[in-house]
Amino acid sequence: MTTVIPFGPQHPVLPEPVSLKLEIDNDVVVGVLPSLGYVHRGLEKFIDTKDYNQTMYICERICGICSGIHGITYSRAVEKLFDVEIPERAQYLRVINSELCRIHSHLLWLGLFADGFGFESLFYECWKYREDVLDLLERFTGNRVIHSMSKVGGASRDLTKEQIDQILKTLDDLEPKVKNIEKVFVNNYTVKKRLVGLGVMSKQLAYEAGTAGPTLRGSGNAVDVRNTADWDIYRDLGFKTATEKEGDCYGRTKVRIDEIYESIKLVRNAISKLPDGEIATRVKGFPTGEAIMRAEQPRGEVVYYVKGNGTKNLERLKVRTPTFANIPSLLLMLPGVKLADVPIVVLTIDPCISCTER
Amino acid sequence: MGMLNLVLANVSRKPATRLYPFEVRAPFKEFKGRIVFNPDNCILCGLCQKKCPPDAITVTKADKTWELNVFRCIMCTECVNGCPKDCISISNERAKTGAKEFIKIVVPKVDTPKAAPSK
Repeated sequence: MTTVIPFGPQHPVLPEPVSLKLEIDNDVVVGVLPSLGYVHRGLEKFIDTKDYNQTMYICERICGICSGIHGITYSRAVEKLFDVEIPERAQYLRVINSELCRIHSHLLWLGLFADGFGFESLFYECWKYREDVLDLLERFTGNRVIHSMSKVGGASRDLTKEQIDQILKTLDDLEPKVKNIEKVFVNNYTVKKRLVGLGVMSKQLAYEAGTAGPTLRGSGNAVDVRNTADWDIYRDLGFKTATEKEGDCYGRTKVRIDEIYESIKLVRNAISKLPDGEIATRVKGFPTGEAIMRAEQPRGEVVYYVKGNGTKNLERLKVRTPTFANIPSLLLMLPGVKLADVPIVVLTIDPCISCTER
Repeated sequence: MGMLNLVLANVSRKPATRLYPFEVRAPFKEFKGRIVFNPDNCILCGLCQKKCPPDAITVTKADKTWELNVFRCIMCTECVNGCPKDCISISNERAKTGAKEFIKIVVPKVDTPKAAPSK
């Protein structure tokens, strides 16, 4: 006989409201029914009242963790509508902002994950290191979380020599610290006991379920929008996609740790190649037509669709966030998992429910 | 084993946090703390009001006032970049908690642009 146990919308392990109705048979999950919509804010409709420059600030507020990348992707989508080429320096500044966002997001996730399986001192370590990156972002953009660094037509803030030195110095300090916590996540007996072989997704299944981001790469699919989408700058910077074959929670953790190293490398490369010149071009007129833009967020691929109708307001803005793509794969991972392991499996997709519901 | 080393290292270190109200970190030079308005050069053109995404600025030409709703302001610096007379700047000092909601400043002298002389 099966019992239905509600998981969320308020659950100690998840700060965000997702509700999963778990069908339990003898302490093992046999079926899952998700329900969403607790934090719907109507942001896609709200853009009707703002012009296309102001909409950037609304897009940044879709998510508090990957806010910078939301703003950058929206700006790139509108630039595609106008068909303008932004200065090369602005593109590099955007890459630096995106990768710093990714580092802090992955450190935050590693901390939350450690807290999820009951390793509190590791949680504090991860968040201590994340604080250094947040300080960097505050110096670089002027804000800790909502950066407002990008704008339609380029970047709104430039990097000074002093800031560049600070970024390089902090990253040099950060790398050995991440190596320290990597040892714990990868080699620790209790951590491995908890993660290995949990929530397994095969390579084929992950691909067919339309999974995105580190969840997909943890199953051995080398799919990363930074390599495949039409943003040439990442290819110039020499970027390697991190993948693991395991397909379980352990593999997904290792992918995220590898991505921190890749992001550190990308920021260093971007700074070494940072060209001189303008940081923004002037965009004139009103947008018409449609455009789609993709970008790789810390959680996976985000898709922006914008439609202009020749007025200052956009006619339609549609955002497909990575968690929306990862929830179906979560439903495939959960059956067969013990009830006590459900929080860990839910955390491995790095759910961002506020993104998903907008 | 790695964790044991981390924990032992942390025993000898001082805390990573500050005793906040007694020990305050100085704000970074680049930090967007609060909006500062200098009314001397203002021409009441209203561009800042037009550009402000959260509608925090109200410019009233009749009363010659410039008003900022501090609680609505999101520190995006659109007004700072958009001001043609550079009246608005940003300070790295954070606004005090519980400060007044509205900052209303009367613009003392407005140089209204003169009409072109008729031929």
